[in-house]
Amino acid sequence: MSDLLQDLLPLVWTGIVTGCLYAMGALGLVMIFKATRVVNFAHGNLAALAGFVVYGLTQAGGGIGWIAAVLIALAIVVLLALVAYGLIARVSEASDLRGTIATLGISLVLQGVVQVVFGADIVNLDLPVPNWSATVAGLRVTSYDITVLAVSGIVIAALFLVIERTRVGIAFRAVSTSAFASRVCGLNIHAVQGLAWGVAAGLGVTAALLIIPSTFLSSTTVASFMLQSFAAAVLGGFSSLPGSIVGGLIVGVTMNLFSYFVTSELSATFLLVLMLVALNLFPGGILPQRGGGSRA
Amino acid sequence: MPEAVSVLAPRATAETPPLPRRLTVWLLLGVLALVPAVAGGFWTYSVGVCMANAVAVLSVGFLLRYGGEVSIGHSFFLAFGAYCTAIVERELGLSVGIGLPVAAAAGAVLGIVFAWPSRALSGIYLAIATMALALSVPELILQLGPIAGGYEGLYVARPLIPGVSVDLQRYYLPLVVLALVVLLLARFRRSRQGLVLLTARDHPRAAEAFGFSRGYARLAAFAISASIASTAGALLAFAASTVSPNSFTLSTAIYLLVGTVVSFGSLGLAGALAGGAFITLVPQLFAAWGDWVPIIYGAALLAVVTLGHRPAEVLAALRARLGGGRRDA
Repeated sequence: MSDLLQDLLPLVWTGIVTGCLYAMGALGLVMIFKATRVVNFAHGNLAALAGFVVYGLTQAGGGIGWIAAVLIALAIVVLLALVAYGLIARVSEASDLRGTIATLGISLVLQGVVQVVFGADIVNLDLPVPNWSATVAGLRVTSYDITVLAVSGIVIAALFLVIERTRVGIAFRAVSTSAFASRVCGLNIHAVQGLAWGVAAGLGVTAALLIIPSTFLSSTTVASFMLQSFAAAVLGGFSSLPGSIVGGLIVGVTMNLFSYFVTSELSATFLLVLMLVALNLFPGGILPQRGGGSRA
Repeated sequence: MPEAVSVLAPRATAETPPLPRRLTVWLLLGVLALVPAVAGGFWTYSVGVCMANAVAVLSVGFLLRYGGEVSIGHSFFLAFGAYCTAIVERELGLSVGIGLPVAAAAGAVLGIVFAWPSRALSGIYLAIATMALALSVPELILQLGPIAGGYEGLYVARPLIPGVSVDLQRYYLPLVVLALVVLLLARFRRSRQGLVLLTARDHPRAAEAFGFSRGYARLAAFAISASIASTAGALLAFAASTVSPNSFTLSTAIYLLVGTVVSFGSLGLAGALAGGAFITLVPQLFAAWGDWVPIIYGAALLAVVTLGHRPAEVLAALRARLGGGRRDA
């Protein structure tokens, strides 16, 4: 029994750490969906592009500071997200379906740009934090874990504070409840929706930069890491922000347990089954929202 | 409800196609039938693969038109059909003549198995689930072990009709099946079931009043689409003579959607061929600039989707195509 616990505790811990990152990715997806009714399939490609920009600026001949590189990458990606929103806003007024197809077009273009500019190589990109680890109650805690938990905690707390307590947050909630009514009330819904896209892109970049050290970076891997975020968002009902955090933690922990106890070669299949099972047990998500629009 | 009536009443577009259009189809089939006689081996092979891909494009287009759903997971059904054919040949020693019908039937069942859990939920869940489906294909193929040939894949070498040139068979089987699928789809548009699916898509309540639930429509559309995709997979395996996990990735599935969109969601012969040719020939023509292929596809997708939004005649054309001629009222 205690042997099992010895195995279980580290698995759950690392699952929670990566789960926070999936949650951050999912928050971006859900914000975009709430604001514009579009499922953004380009989310992962935008984040991957940021990873490559940081890599190019700090390691491959760039040689500028890490923080400056991250800020430049963030600026580029947020700008691209606004361009993407501009393209999609015109399209998705006609139908949500077409907006979603358009995000696939954007994701293909971004993937191609990354391949043309940075090549199809696999690169490593570490965080500039000191290598440190401690053992707390039989659990090995590294500086990476602490960084991830601290950054995602601060970012998510700030996001909820803004959404719950500020005028911008009220505007976002109004648009996500009813874009039409918001427009009637005189809200500039394009500004609010653009803001949602920009913030979502920032969340995606943060999550990607934090997850890359634990895996690696290539033109396709970060895009597929986004599958975990999609799964987290689906588990949370796709229109609930707290739900996507719970979903992220569930995905992180269960995936870790599955790959340790069963097999590590079927992670996408596992996520597929997890999503389909969750959809049947909780058709409106784990934390269903009133009028969340998750049911057909 | 006037809307419902306009959907259920037979429309001019739903009747037998006008003569010039039928002539075009026959002309196109005639030209295609002559390709191996005038073109070299390379072009015969390429056009054969184009036609197999055209069937795959039709499967995604069918789901978009009759289900109103976006799928980026049809590489799963494609892979299923292809491996079905290859395994039937290797384990049972039977040709694609058995493998293809088996793939088509089993593909329909698989489509229902996949669509069942999300039958009552809105389309975004299906779109995301199809993404997971596409990403799981290579994993699942490798899990099958030696029976699926691992990374190297399997060969499909047995001819359909012994004694006739295999290269010609690799060309003419996709041609015949493509023509059959297009014909069946044209009949389906005019059939009772076709109208049921279109009604359920646009006016779910009207369809329910006639006794057809939305869940039924979702399952039916997905089963037919998956069956067509599996057929396309069997054709691809036969036309290209080999199957491997690398040919069924998420990109494959997204490219199928690209093919559907650039053909304006057409379910006709010319449109399907254009879509199939686009996704087959662009990587071949740009082989030296392989990294540019996603950019070309993405730009084409965006161009069609955004141009379709302009309130010009482009929109009317796209609507007529995507909507099956039902939204112009």
